[in-house]
Amino acid sequence: MGVQTDSLLRYRPWRGTPRGPLWGAAAVARVAVRLLAGRRLFWGLAALGLMVFFFFFYAQYLFVWIKTFTDETVRFAGVPVAVADLSKFLGRVNLDGSVHTFGNYVWFQGYILVIVLALAGSVLVGNDFAHGSLPFYLSKPIARRHYLLGKVLAVGAVVNLFTTLPAVVLWVQAGLLFDWHTYYVDNFHLLVGILGYGLLLTVTLGLLTVATAVWVRRTVPMVMAWVGPFVLLRMIAEWVVDGLKYDPRWRLIDLWNDLYLCGLWCLGADPRTIRPPAQPDVWEAALVVAGVCGGCLLYLRRRVQAVEIVQ
Amino acid sequence: MADLIRLEGVTRAFGPHVALDDVTLALPPGRVGLLGPNGAGKSTLLKLLMGLIPPTSGTGRVLDQELGGDRDAAGNWRLRRLIGFMPEADALVPGLTGVGYVGLAGELYGMPRREAVRRAHEVLSYLGLEEARYRRVEEYSAGMKQRVKLAQALIHDPPVLLLDEPTSGLDPAGRDAMLRLVRELGTEHGKSVVLSTHLLADVEAVCERVVILAGGRVRREGTVTELRAARRDRFRVRVGGDGAGFGRALAAAGVAVLGDDGRGEWRVAVPDGWSNRGFFRLAAESDAVVRSLVRDEETLEELFLRAVSD
Repeated sequence: MGVQTDSLLRYRPWRGTPRGPLWGAAAVARVAVRLLAGRRLFWGLAALGLMVFFFFFYAQYLFVWIKTFTDETVRFAGVPVAVADLSKFLGRVNLDGSVHTFGNYVWFQGYILVIVLALAGSVLVGNDFAHGSLPFYLSKPIARRHYLLGKVLAVGAVVNLFTTLPAVVLWVQAGLLFDWHTYYVDNFHLLVGILGYGLLLTVTLGLLTVATAVWVRRTVPMVMAWVGPFVLLRMIAEWVVDGLKYDPRWRLIDLWNDLYLCGLWCLGADPRTIRPPAQPDVWEAALVVAGVCGGCLLYLRRRVQAVEIVQ
Repeated sequence: MADLIRLEGVTRAFGPHVALDDVTLALPPGRVGLLGPNGAGKSTLLKLLMGLIPPTSGTGRVLDQELGGDRDAAGNWRLRRLIGFMPEADALVPGLTGVGYVGLAGELYGMPRREAVRRAHEVLSYLGLEEARYRRVEEYSAGMKQRVKLAQALIHDPPVLLLDEPTSGLDPAGRDAMLRLVRELGTEHGKSVVLSTHLLADVEAVCERVVILAGGRVRREGTVTELRAARRDRFRVRVGGDGAGFGRALAAAGVAVLGDDGRGEWRVAVPDGWSNRGFFRLAAESDAVVRSLVRDEETLEELFLRAVSD
């Protein structure tokens, strides 16, 4: 053990003033993010997310640049293409610093985010259950809500790193590309909308990730569990609404679409411009999102029990 | 000085199941062993002491801090800052280094980050983990894991250490070292220790007082010496000569022979009002000789078994 008389000198009493449990939640979040950053897979996925961001970043630049050549043609692989046609195409995908630029960006990042969150859930929360770390946290002067807050904050940091932060950068870039004197003032509501969308994603995906991780714990089962709500239900919703022409409310089973609708509402999008056109009302989507959050909270309240500390 | 633990009529029920039944205890600061079979109520008592659950009825205090359970959050934080808890389960956070793990514990106890990290280094050095501070905790050996768990309980310098099976999974050398360390924390640094264990030898090695729980009730409580001395009807008699005749004479006089080690030493239980002269008188009548007669102090194990079966 190596406890010698001289080593006792190194033990000294601590007489500082302890801080409140919210600081503990912040420590949980910080350590959780650091744990995630230690995974190579995370950085691989971050690189993919960066590619999506760069696509939007340079395409916005391209859109502005191309508009300066209105009567000319450019050559793609030796084929002359009218600049007007190109800008029409880029306009259709909304790479013009408008509401749908940011909405689409978050939508496309969703594909990568699903895998990132599966990894985050298993590393940050699943491990605590699989390795019995819960007693370590809950025997300290923090409550269950502080533990959960720390984990949700960590997941939120990841979500915002992939969605909100790059979207804000795109907004700043759009202002610089267009007339920044008017863009930033006229489109300030877009910045607020981006932050609102980010908050919505943070809360919903944070709770959903933590709840799913508590349930399945490991990365691969988590990816499979995520595939259900984010891929399978989306395919079913599209098939039922677009293929069978059923009520658009069937799209409510697609949670990512619900978040998208709520996000576009935050951004102030005209509902008629949302594609695909047959969509449920925003309040209905918001109700589903609130229901999912409530369900997750109830589940977490039941599963994250302080009484598990002592077996 | 305030009592380490003071419980007055504490009952804790989970639905129809009563885990702790009208427990009244007053333990002074010091090293206390908490003994009991599975289902005795030890875990429930630990949860109550940490303020994780409130008592169904009754009141309690740890170092003058009231037990409130989840009902009193601020009181609970104060209570848990008094306690350093070392769980039986691994309870490690994979991916963290030793110093990261212990530092995180410090922050959870409310220490500022810089102080938590500095103190983590100190505590790990004190516990002999200086060389392993920057290794990941999941790579530690069983002994190192136990020590790092003790370090996270010690980080905020609590006056009370609540140790749940601290020697679980250790080899004999590691176990001895851990017990020496726990004892030293009590004697050298004035920590009060509540040691919950199944291992009576651990309690004997470390604790001054013992609380034996069974069926949700306190069956025995006191210092190890007091509890052992409480049994005054047992003797060890070394016999020479006609042992068989002496045995029959003892039985006729109401003395029960509890054991014979085969080398002439018997353990006997005498009836009320028995005088030790009776041994010599009966021996003389049976052509036997009493070579030695000493009071048979009950081992802690025997005491435990008797307390549990009462």
